Amino acid sequence: MKTIKTKTGIGKWLPRKYDLQKAEGTLQFADDLRFGPELLHASVVRSSVAHGEIIDIDYSEALKMPGVLKVIVGEDFPYHFGLYLKDRTPMAIGRTRYMGEPVALVVAETEEDAKEAVKKVKVTYKELEPVFDPVKAATTNSVLVHPDLHKYDHVDFITPQPNTNIANWFRIRKGDTEAAFKNAAHVFEETITCPQIAHGFIETFCSICKQDPGSGEITIWTSAQSAFTVRDIIAKGINYPLHKIRVIAPPVGGGFGGKAGMTVEALCLAAAMDEDLKGRPVKLFIPREEVLLSSWVRQGFVARIELAVDEDGLMQGIRNTFWFDTGISAEYGANPVRSARYTSMGAYNIPNVWADCYAVYTNKPFGGAYRGFGLPELMSALEVVVDIVAHKLKIDPVEFRKKNLLMKGQTTCTGMPMHDHALDKIIDKVAKKIDVLKEEPPIRKGWKRGKGIALAIKAPAIPADASSSAIVKLNGDGTVEVLAATMDMGQGTYSAFAQIVSEELGIPYDWIKVYYPDTQSHPYDWQTAASRSCWSMGMAVKRAASELREKLLALFAEYWQTPVENISIEYGVVKCHKLGKSERIDERVQNGFKMPDGILKGGPIIGTGSFTPPDLLYPDPDTGQSPKSVTHFTLGAVGVDMEVDPATGRIIINKVCAGYDVGKAITPINIKGQIEGGTVQGLSACLMEGMTYDEHGKLLTPDFTDYKIATIKDAPGEIDAFWEETPEEISPYGNRGVGEHSMIAPAPATNNALFRATGMRIHSYPLSRERVYKALKAKEKGETDFWEWPYALDLAYERAKKEW
Amino acid sequence: MKDKYVTLTINGRKTTLVVEDRTTLLTALREYGVTSLKRGCEEGECGACTVIMNGLPQKSCLILVREAEGAEILTVEGLIKKGRLHPVQQAFIDEGAIQCGYCTPGMVMTTYALLSKNPSPEEEEIREALSGNICRCTGYLSIIRAVKKSADILSGKAKGGELREDD
Repeated sequence: MKTIKTKTGIGKWLPRKYDLQKAEGTLQFADDLRFGPELLHASVVRSSVAHGEIIDIDYSEALKMPGVLKVIVGEDFPYHFGLYLKDRTPMAIGRTRYMGEPVALVVAETEEDAKEAVKKVKVTYKELEPVFDPVKAATTNSVLVHPDLHKYDHVDFITPQPNTNIANWFRIRKGDTEAAFKNAAHVFEETITCPQIAHGFIETFCSICKQDPGSGEITIWTSAQSAFTVRDIIAKGINYPLHKIRVIAPPVGGGFGGKAGMTVEALCLAAAMDEDLKGRPVKLFIPREEVLLSSWVRQGFVARIELAVDEDGLMQGIRNTFWFDTGISAEYGANPVRSARYTSMGAYNIPNVWADCYAVYTNKPFGGAYRGFGLPELMSALEVVVDIVAHKLKIDPVEFRKKNLLMKGQTTCTGMPMHDHALDKIIDKVAKKIDVLKEEPPIRKGWKRGKGIALAIKAPAIPADASSSAIVKLNGDGTVEVLAATMDMGQGTYSAFAQIVSEELGIPYDWIKVYYPDTQSHPYDWQTAASRSCWSMGMAVKRAASELREKLLALFAEYWQTPVENISIEYGVVKCHKLGKSERIDERVQNGFKMPDGILKGGPIIGTGSFTPPDLLYPDPDTGQSPKSVTHFTLGAVGVDMEVDPATGRIIINKVCAGYDVGKAITPINIKGQIEGGTVQGLSACLMEGMTYDEHGKLLTPDFTDYKIATIKDAPGEIDAFWEETPEEISPYGNRGVGEHSMIAPAPATNNALFRATGMRIHSYPLSRERVYKALKAKEKGETDFWEWPYALDLAYERAKKEW
Repeated sequence: MKDKYVTLTINGRKTTLVVEDRTTLLTALREYGVTSLKRGCEEGECGACTVIMNGLPQKSCLILVREAEGAEILTVEGLIKKGRLHPVQQAFIDEGAIQCGYCTPGMVMTTYALLSKNPSPEEEEIREALSGNICRCTGYLSIIRAVKKSADILSGKAKGGELREDD
């Protein structure tokens, strides 16, 4: 018998938590917090060379500037930080590895004072030869970005290669790929490239750190997705007890992975822990033009994919090699490489798989987590290759995909059986909604119109022990407070948690409040990442709420002297229909119930819950095989209807149709929002984004003037977002993550549509106007394929390709 | 730098601020305590600091506060009357047009300015008016729906506070 009734449980469309405060403008982000006149401000002196020895840092003039208290350099805070691989120092020590790397920190009474003084710091370098091209960096090792790689601590599931630029090398060896290729009726080989991509969140980085001089206790207010991960990385970096570090994470103004680990916190802490400054809070606000230099971006990549197909059009083998450009640090970026490799087969049933993924150091700002975590990279290459193959085999792209689909029980590239899903149904729907095989005349005169499809797949790339825990508290008026250290950075997780609590407790959604993370009050959560929150933290919240319900019902059962099965909670009221009882939740849930025998029982009622994935096993390092390498996959498909103007190379997206198997929709308003938002972010990456450097390694696209991201004018005319619900076994309600997945397939679907429109295949992202125009000009000369190496000034790629 | 004084009206309240020559309207308003406008780029690219100044939407990061002497400034905080949200704010909630919320105050103010001038804009006009405000979260389509709904609420064709549900 169901013991609760609610109108605001899972699956309902409800106003999102904190939207009211966001609309009012009263929600305070990190930069909006106020600390009074004691607050100090830091500003960063950045390297002007991409690779060089620091000969001298002269800050004597800076110290004479008004308001300046101190200048701190790398040697003053010589700690290594990193989530998976400790290869980062907050400031360069002795050697700078990219242009823009922090080399000194000026601390002053005001932000303006600090900025003015930065200009007075003189740094002398002895320039070293830099390396910008990941293939060159990995294959020649002529320049070593991290000669000390062998000394860095790392987790045991990543494999740095000392005395090379390879920070991580992941392999898959499944089946007999050599035989598969030898016996195949058709063999194809293609390369695809993509530059680094920026998150483009509108809130930049902001941290405020303070150390209590007596106790040494540290408090950090920061724009971070994962408060506990910041605490862990800092504690391990400076060898400090966890209980002396408190991380408070105010609302985050967009993360997309860019704030998933540690960003600028350690740099700010270098000032706050300074002997002369400690006790005063120090704020480090990173202005827009320094954001791309201050934390990671999506890794650029060079992909080579070979596919073996038999006479029936079935894929028999795949060999893929991915060179990920991870810049100067792979502390977090080692993991998207792993994530891409887990899924080397894409959404296809391929019995023989040989895959190598490398995270390669170069002298550029560094790579790390970005929405999709390795999968937009993998799939924007693989889904294009699959389309090329379908075209060459004269099989329609929908049929070719469906024929080879990885269905329930068939094994992934890591040897793990695929679970049930509805991707076949989703493909049919997308194909129908967008009429993908039907050629239609362009809407715009003189333009060419095309349609394309691509698939999406992604599993949470979490460590096997990535855990979540939650506390649910019942107040003396029946309202509820939830402590779950997930960051709601717009994806809407707090609405989901409130709906889960409402579902479990029968208490209305409006009576439930979920708080932003504070490591002092909240129980542990690994990270807000991997689209895992509604699933992993959702499990913890559900368990906490159920425990609370059981405690509450047990007390009412004794109070009313009736079996617990007879009691229900309906719309916030506790009822026993059998006895005709109906009571509101009141202070008895704080102070105890006076039972029939006159004795007080109970007291404050809280529920706790935790969750750790129960059955993950790290893959074998040599073969990548594991009975359960990932918890589950979310699959989907995207269809794009677009037009291109051959005169200018401009692409306009008429319509996108995107569907995913979400398992169970907890908060439909958020799923729709995630699909629409991720689709446009994916299209934006596809059509206009890419970090560009000059020949010295200077970033030419540091702000929104030069690094273009989609505006409202670039958004498609229509996005048809839908979802299917094939329940997941180990999951609170069968739900799976969908937050990142929407960014995976729009780019390859658009690329495929462009091919259908023009007959031209572009192998290098982005499909910018200039590049499309050039490609179409090449088409006029009879070319069918076009690619531009993103590191045009470094032609080593051409040579390296032969050496593969 | 020598301090100067600027007198302006912020959300209906006349105030005198102590500023420097280089102080932007954005910095001055934030230091005064109006933090709804955000520092997204401080270069006029993102629109997160949009305010209404003398009836026109302006990026406050591009205005020196001394240019705003005597000006009437309206921010998103000033849209709330007697504790009730303005229809534009309500429509953004109803349509799921808010995710992280960082661009929202700027989006709402630009929408407010658009609808003050053009009460029933076509979709192309909405896209044109909001093209200086960047949102990385929503994909913009919900924002377009919110602007349309704002117009409908203001003209009495729709009611605020009701969520759009898909089938």
